[in-house]
Amino acid sequence: MTTFTARLRALTLSFALPLTIKVPLMVAVLMVAVSAILSNQVLVRLSATQERHLEELTGAYLDGLSASLVPHVLREDIWEIYDQLDRTRHAYVGVRAVSTLVAEPGGTILAASDPHAFPSQTVLPESLVGRFEGAANLVLDEGGGRAFIRRALSYQDLPIGSIYGEIDISGLLAERREVLLALVLTNIALTLVLAGAGYLVVRRMVRPVDTLAEHLERGRGGRMEPIPEQRIGPRHSEVGRLFRRYNALVDAVNEREALAARLADEERMASLGRLASGMAHEINNPLGGLFNAIDTLEHHGDKAEVRRGSLDLLKRGLVGIRDVVRAALVTYKSGASRQPLQPSELDDLRFLVRPEVMRRQLTLMWRTDLAGDLPLPAGPVRQSVLNLLLNACAASPLGGRVEFAARTRGGELVIQVSDQGPGMPAEIAAVLQSDGRAEPPPAQGSGLGAWMVSRLVRELGGRVAVAPRAEGGTTVTITVPVKEEGPIRHVA
Amino acid sequence: MPGKRQVASSEPLWRGMHPFGRRRLLAALAALGAMGGASGAFSRTSAAASREVRFGLTPVFLSSDLELLTRLRAYLAGALDRPVTLVTRRTYQEITALLLSGQLDAAWICGYPFIQYRERLSLVAVPVWRGSPLYQSYLIVDHDRQVAGLPDLRGDIHAFSDPDSNSGHLVTQAALAEIRETPDAFFGKTFFTYSHRNVVRAVASGLAQSGSVDGYVWEVMSEIEPALTAGTRVLRKSEWLGFPPVACAKTAGHRALADDIRRALVAMGDDPAGRAVLELLRLDGFTPGDAGLFDGIAHNLDLVRSLG
Repeated sequence: MTTFTARLRALTLSFALPLTIKVPLMVAVLMVAVSAILSNQVLVRLSATQERHLEELTGAYLDGLSASLVPHVLREDIWEIYDQLDRTRHAYVGVRAVSTLVAEPGGTILAASDPHAFPSQTVLPESLVGRFEGAANLVLDEGGGRAFIRRALSYQDLPIGSIYGEIDISGLLAERREVLLALVLTNIALTLVLAGAGYLVVRRMVRPVDTLAEHLERGRGGRMEPIPEQRIGPRHSEVGRLFRRYNALVDAVNEREALAARLADEERMASLGRLASGMAHEINNPLGGLFNAIDTLEHHGDKAEVRRGSLDLLKRGLVGIRDVVRAALVTYKSGASRQPLQPSELDDLRFLVRPEVMRRQLTLMWRTDLAGDLPLPAGPVRQSVLNLLLNACAASPLGGRVEFAARTRGGELVIQVSDQGPGMPAEIAAVLQSDGRAEPPPAQGSGLGAWMVSRLVRELGGRVAVAPRAEGGTTVTITVPVKEEGPIRHVA
Repeated sequence: MPGKRQVASSEPLWRGMHPFGRRRLLAALAALGAMGGASGAFSRTSAAASREVRFGLTPVFLSSDLELLTRLRAYLAGALDRPVTLVTRRTYQEITALLLSGQLDAAWICGYPFIQYRERLSLVAVPVWRGSPLYQSYLIVDHDRQVAGLPDLRGDIHAFSDPDSNSGHLVTQAALAEIRETPDAFFGKTFFTYSHRNVVRAVASGLAQSGSVDGYVWEVMSEIEPALTAGTRVLRKSEWLGFPPVACAKTAGHRALADDIRRALVAMGDDPAGRAVLELLRLDGFTPGDAGLFDGIAHNLDLVRSLG
């Protein structure tokens, strides 16, 4: 069980190896398996051929021996039998007889080529007869490098004895060993060559994948780069087509990024337009009063009381206009967006949304619990909050209430904007919470603001959450991490 | 004279040849040579001079060594001044039968058939070995075998050379007869190898536990094939007996030719080619001999017959 687990783990490990190793390894394993099967086949065939060959040779040997032995065996002529066996022992090329003997049907040895080992007139030893099972007349003892043969002698269909022979087959076995050695060496060489070739081929095949992976990795951090033309290779190869498609994708992505940036700019300009008209309205409102005050001063300026009242009126009207203008300037002043965020800069947003608040007769609840400056770029934060506030104003019914709250909590700036609207449409909420990865909305107005917020917050490393309120309406929460060491301080 | 060249080359040829075959051939040559002594004069005066001489060789000396046979025949042909054919057969019996039936002019046979058919055969010449026309029969056993004498060999598988061989059969038969035994009863099993050299092979290989062999053959083999005789040990040597002789049929027509053959054989040592043949056979020469040399064999035969 342990072995199985270990093997499984080893197998899993092998799948974790790079292709350049895995493929040659598989080739090698395959080759070893194939060569093992082939070698086995060859050796089985070889040994079958050898055995047949041996059978034929010994058959011919025994045929010749029988023909010359039969008359001597009939006469039980010990000398002639011995003389035959002794002289024919080395007479047959290919049959290296170690010893031969002739026995009577009863098992008594008539004569042997080596009488010391097999004396005449003695019974055949079991060590020889026992080797032959049943009718087998050729028995191989590969361990001892010997073959044992037997041939019945008959005369006029009557058995008159048997020839037994011990043949040296070490030559055949040596040949088999040589073949095996040659096979093994050839297969090792082939396996190494093929595995090496596999390594080279796979490395070559995998190189484009590496190129692609490298470009994808590089594109993760920012702008994606197309693969240079000189690395693409032949136009119609698979790799060429893949690289071209990748480059087309890079172009499309980059184009979309550019479009998104342009859209963001346009949205900013659009909201600026809306703000501008609101501001014009805001400025225009007190203008009537201010002109009245000026008229009053012209006609009744000599009266101290009237003059004081008119000047006071003028001053308040101008202060209101200045606040609006200053807020607009801070928001849109070039370069101001990278300044650290001051609490007052958030508070200034009130003036920017006031025209909208007044137009819709809303109540704006404002709370800021910030200790001091935050090392955050002011621009994106203000832009996001402004968008949310304008959205909340638009969503709230006439006479409704919009709430703003900002505070720091555990190293994070948490800003909440709540309204009493009918609830945020799901697609808008999805865009808001999408970490800025959502597609930019195709049409102006519907969700473009939300997409910009999510994009800005993402750039700050923060997140957006949308939640319905129990008493009706929606709360949008922006959470942005505040870093002690930030780019703000560096700029400052 | 071709003989000189043969002498010069005879020793190396001998060394390279199959020893046993050489020996058999040499014996045949010696027998043939008996005629050669007076051949020159005889052939010119005899009407039968141009007739082919047929000379028989017993398997004791028979060899496949064709070169030695050729050399023997060449000497005889030269000495007799007529063509010579050497006739060989597997058994003593066949040669004896051919000789008795007149199909051979002379043959180198064994003392045993000479005694068996002494009424019909006459002596041509007897080889001289180690100074006398005598030899022994050896009883041999495996070199490492611890036995003291013939009685210890009871139950053996015993190798004889030929049923008609004195040294390779009759001597042992007679020795057993002295203790009232016969080979078949005394030994467990006997067989004939039809050659003295094969008796040595049979005992050395272990096929036979003991054997009866020609002492002359064993001694020469121990010089030429020491590896083979080293596997055997001489357990018992017989008394000295008449060396296997060259004989011819006792017919009037053969007498003159027999004399020629005898002269050729006896004069072998005087001729370089003949000396070469004798050297190959390890014989000193041939002597006319006397039938009395074979009395010992006759005695043995009587002994065996008295028991059978």
